[in-house]
This record gives sequence, C-alpha cells and structure tokens, in this order.
Amino acid sequence: MEAAFSGLLILADPYLLALILIATLGGVLVGALPGLNATTGVALLLPFTITMEPIPAIVILTTIYCAATFAGAITAILINTPGTSASATTCLDGYPMSQRGEAGRALGMAAVSSTIGGIISIVCLMLAAPLLARAAYHFAPPEYFALTVFGLSMLASIGNGSPIKNIISGAFGVLLATVGIDMLTSIERFTFDVNELSDGISFVPVMIGIFGISELLVQASRLDVVRERISMKAIKLPSRADYAKVWKTILRSSGIGTFIGILPAEGATVASMIGYNEAKRWSKTPEEFGKGAIEGIAGSEAANNAATGGAMVPTLALGIPGSPTAAVILAGMMVHGLRPGPTLFTEQSDFVFAIFWSMMVVNLLFFVIGLYGAKLFARVTLVPMQILWPMVFTFSIVGAYALEQSMADVWVALIFGLIGFAMRRYGYSVVPMAIGLILGGMLETRLGQSMVMLDEQWWLMATRPLTLFFLVLTVLALFGPYMWKKITAKPAKYNSIG
Amino acid sequence: MQFIKGNHPARWMVPIIIIGLSALAFWQSTQFDRVPPILKRGMQPEDFPQIIIALIIFLAVLLLIKDTDERPEKITGKVWPSMALIIAFALVIEIDLFLGLGVFSFLLCLLWGERRVKALLLVGIVVPLIVFFFFDQVFEIRFPKGILTNLWYG
Repeated sequence: MEAAFSGLLILADPYLLALILIATLGGVLVGALPGLNATTGVALLLPFTITMEPIPAIVILTTIYCAATFAGAITAILINTPGTSASATTCLDGYPMSQRGEAGRALGMAAVSSTIGGIISIVCLMLAAPLLARAAYHFAPPEYFALTVFGLSMLASIGNGSPIKNIISGAFGVLLATVGIDMLTSIERFTFDVNELSDGISFVPVMIGIFGISELLVQASRLDVVRERISMKAIKLPSRADYAKVWKTILRSSGIGTFIGILPAEGATVASMIGYNEAKRWSKTPEEFGKGAIEGIAGSEAANNAATGGAMVPTLALGIPGSPTAAVILAGMMVHGLRPGPTLFTEQSDFVFAIFWSMMVVNLLFFVIGLYGAKLFARVTLVPMQILWPMVFTFSIVGAYALEQSMADVWVALIFGLIGFAMRRYGYSVVPMAIGLILGGMLETRLGQSMVMLDEQWWLMATRPLTLFFLVLTVLALFGPYMWKKITAKPAKYNSIG
Repeated sequence: MQFIKGNHPARWMVPIIIIGLSALAFWQSTQFDRVPPILKRGMQPEDFPQIIIALIIFLAVLLLIKDTDERPEKITGKVWPSMALIIAFALVIEIDLFLGLGVFSFLLCLLWGERRVKALLLVGIVVPLIVFFFFDQVFEIRFPKGILTNLWYG
C-alpha cells in the first residue's frame, strides 16, 4: 500500500506527466502509422531514453506500448489497414462501419473499450504482479531455469507460423546470447577475435535491425497498396443502447486479454483474435460480425489493450516477457541497469508502482486523444511511405549508434535487418529470436547454478515439485496443441470409416 | 511416403543451410578453451551452446521431414534495389555516417517514387541534419568523424 502511494507520488512530478503526455502522442502516432507497431516503436525510441533516469525512461517505453496498441484501431477503422497486428480484427467491423458513415461511433467504441480493457488489466497487474513476485522470491535456480524454459516454449505458438520454425528462431536467439565472454567461466565464445563481440551482441541494435530495418524491406514490396481515408463525421460517443449491447463483451474481452497477456510471450494479437471470436460466439447477432458489428470492435479492442497490462505481469514479476513489446521493454530495463524479477518488487517497489500508475494515466489520456484527436491522427496515416521510411531508417541507424556510440552496433543493426528480412520471408518469425536473445543469458546462468546446486546431476530437477510443474507445462505448451488436434480428429476418422 | 514434401528449393534448402551453419557453429564450439573442473561452475563453456545447436539441428531435420510450407511469394516491388541501397549505405558510412544517411534517404525516397524536390530535400538533408544536432546537443552523442561531421567537430 505504501509502495502504491510512493509510486503515485513519483508520478505527481510535472516533468514525468509531461513526458507521459508526449510519449502518449508519440505512441498514438507510431500505432497509427501503417507498418510501425508498438514493438518497433519501443525498439526505435529506446535509444532516446539512454541519458534519462530509469523511471522516466521505462515510463516512456510502457506509455508508447499502451498508446501504440490502442492507436492501431484508428487506421484499422479509417483506412482498413491495421496500424498494429493486434488491430487486424478491428478492421473486420470498424471499416464497414466507416463505410456507412459511422466512423465516429466506431472510433468512440474503440476508445471506450480500449480504456476499460486497459484499466481492468492494470488493476489486475497491481494485484497480481506483487503476489507473483512474492511467490517467485523463494524460487531457486532450478525453478527459475524451468520457468524460463516454459517461457521460451510458449514461443512455439507466436503468430500464425510453424511452431518448429518459431522454436528454431527462439533457439537461434538463445545461441546469439552465448556470443562473447562466458559469465560463468570467463572464456570467449564465438567472438572470432573481433574485440567488439567480447561483450556479446547488444540487444538494442538487434531489435532495431529485426523490427525496424527488416520492416523497411517488407514495406518495399507493398508500395503499390493504395490507402484511402474515409471522411469522418463528427466524433460521437457510443449511445446508451450501444453500451447496453457491449458491456458484457467489454468485460469478457478484458478478462481474456489480461489472461492471454499474462501468459509468457503471448501478446495483444492473440488476445484480440480470441476476444473477437468470443464476442461473436456470445453475440445474439453473430451474423452481423464482419459487416460492421459494434460488438466486434469492443471485443477486439478491449482484449488487445487488456493484454498490455497482463503482459507486464510476468515481465516485471519474473523477468519473463509477456509479449514481444514487453520483451523490448525488458531489454530497455536491463540497459538501464534494472533486473526485473522478485527483487525489483522488494528493492524498488515505488518504481514498479510508478510504472503501474503511468499505464493507468496513459489509458485515460488515449481515451481523450482517441475521441478528439483521431481526425488529426487519421491524416497522419496518409504520410507517403517514401517519406516515412527513409526517416525511420535514419532514426534506426542513429539510435543503434547512440546507445554505445559504436559503429559496430550500426553494423549489427544492418546485418540483423537483412537476417530479419530473410527470416520473415521464409516464415521464421523474428519475435522468438528477440525473446531468445533476451532470455538466453538468464537461461544459461540458471542452468549453471542449478548444476552446481544439484551437484551436476541435472535429472534431480525432476524431483523438485515446482520445477517439475514448469517442465510439465513446457511439454504441454509444446505438444498440447498437437495432442489436442489428434484427440479431436479421432471422431471424424471413425465417422469416415463408419 | 514422400520423405521431403513440396518441391520448391527453399522448402529444403533453408533447413539444410540451417543444419550446415549449425554444424559449423558446433565445430567452432569444440574449439573453445576449457576450464579446470574446479572452475567450471557446473558446465564447461561449450556445453550450453552445444545443447542449443543440437536442438536447432534436430528441429531443422524435423522441418525437412514434416514441413509443408508453400513456396514463398516472389520478391516484388522495390525490395532488391532497396536492399542494394542498404549495402551501399554500409560502404558509404566508412566515409561519413551522415553522408551515408543523407544519400541513402534521398535515393530511397527517389526509388520509391517521390519526385517532389522539396520532399527529397526534406528526407535527404533536413531530417539527417535535425537528427544530428538533436542527438549532438540534447543527448551529447559524439558521432564518428567523417568528411561532413568534421565540419562541425573541426
């Protein structure tokens, strides 16, 4: 309680509030621009925070995360192009509403449901994260190792790609984390006598490369896409009848989004899909979905914004990112010398609560911005790609350089930009690689500590109940969907025989 | 049973490249120095990378057998020229980082279809200049010396 109050006091600083306002506008801008999303935005803006104190720096990053996730809805509704992948389902009903002259009502519903979803998830975050951190405080290295393995196993289900490819990508990230001097033995690994590799591969230039520069190449193949903005009539809040129709959907999707967000690695995109599907399943008029159903917007937007708060629960309490963007924020925390996990809650609880409160403020801010500034941001979405992307490239390169003031980092960003593009082209998501890179060091350290603790008898891990629990969860995360498919496929097989 | 499903080259070439690179990395890991048992703290330096490499090889083999991905879409639009510009940028930054940024931005903007001189000057000159002075003055970042940055640094 005291920590919550201290966090609120930190946030009362006018400088911090001004930063939150600017970052909210920046985040909405990032989310509204097609091709840029919350993850890319946070990765690109991370270098701007290097000279700041940790609190304003991380508050800015989380603010951009929340605001960009919301703002994806603006382009989804107005130009049928989701600003972020989490808003893809918002297009399905948002754009048809715009076409029939109800853009204001659609944006209003997106703002209201996003705000409610966000606030519900932050309340859950405030309650759940300290409890989780307290439970994790007693974890020994084997438990942490198994938990990290579980977190990495969840990468299998990221996106729509092949689970095998996702795990290869994640393992590649973990392997990249082994480059440099081994922390346990002080032996150089994979450095090829290059001095710059002795300290390992920095997170930030890799993130800038795989999220920023590779996206530039992806956009290069989409230059012929024509975007037309629908003229928006005066913004109008949803009517009382609309609220009566959607309040259950908003609450349900908020719960779904928070839960999905808490699961390691699963983010707003999965949450919005499930939120949308559940809204349709529970609707009295499911046939209206896809043709401009206001419940569809509420289901999708409440879920994707709720996932932002949910994703911060494992990120802060366990140091396991709850979403791709949370992974970049986690990298930002490490850059600023913070170690997310239980000790963060005991040693810097006011800092943690300052983040919670700032996320609450952002949700209120983008409610106002969403309602009254959407018209302006909708205009921004039409910035020509040929002007936007050279600017993004300039920021990417300067950002990569600025962190360590090293040209080697510029090379890293360029190389990983090309690697990222190649990976995406052949169906390997870059998100698992980023998360693997961030968690790789921790995974190896915990394994080493566990080996020492268990006298090099690694199989003894299975005798520790909690470790065994996480390992069983890992097996379920990896093989559960496959097994489920097999089980549910059986009746069909019998039917066909019969 | 068909061992490798699908017949487009990328279907089997990518896993084979992954396996080849992983094998190289595995060999490289065997060259790491070892530490005496008392200092190894549970694992030798090569143990963990080798576990990960073995996992990658196993999954790539699985991919070779099980994957049924369709042929990737043909690279269209301005991807190849944009990639060539990135490589050219990597060479120009050896002379000057901001010269590289200005030239790259200008040419990319032109390549992607912009013909308005004002827009070209904006992305090629104004934006790099603003970014340079912003980082130099606000964040006190010192950029590497080059023919253009020397004009400011002296």
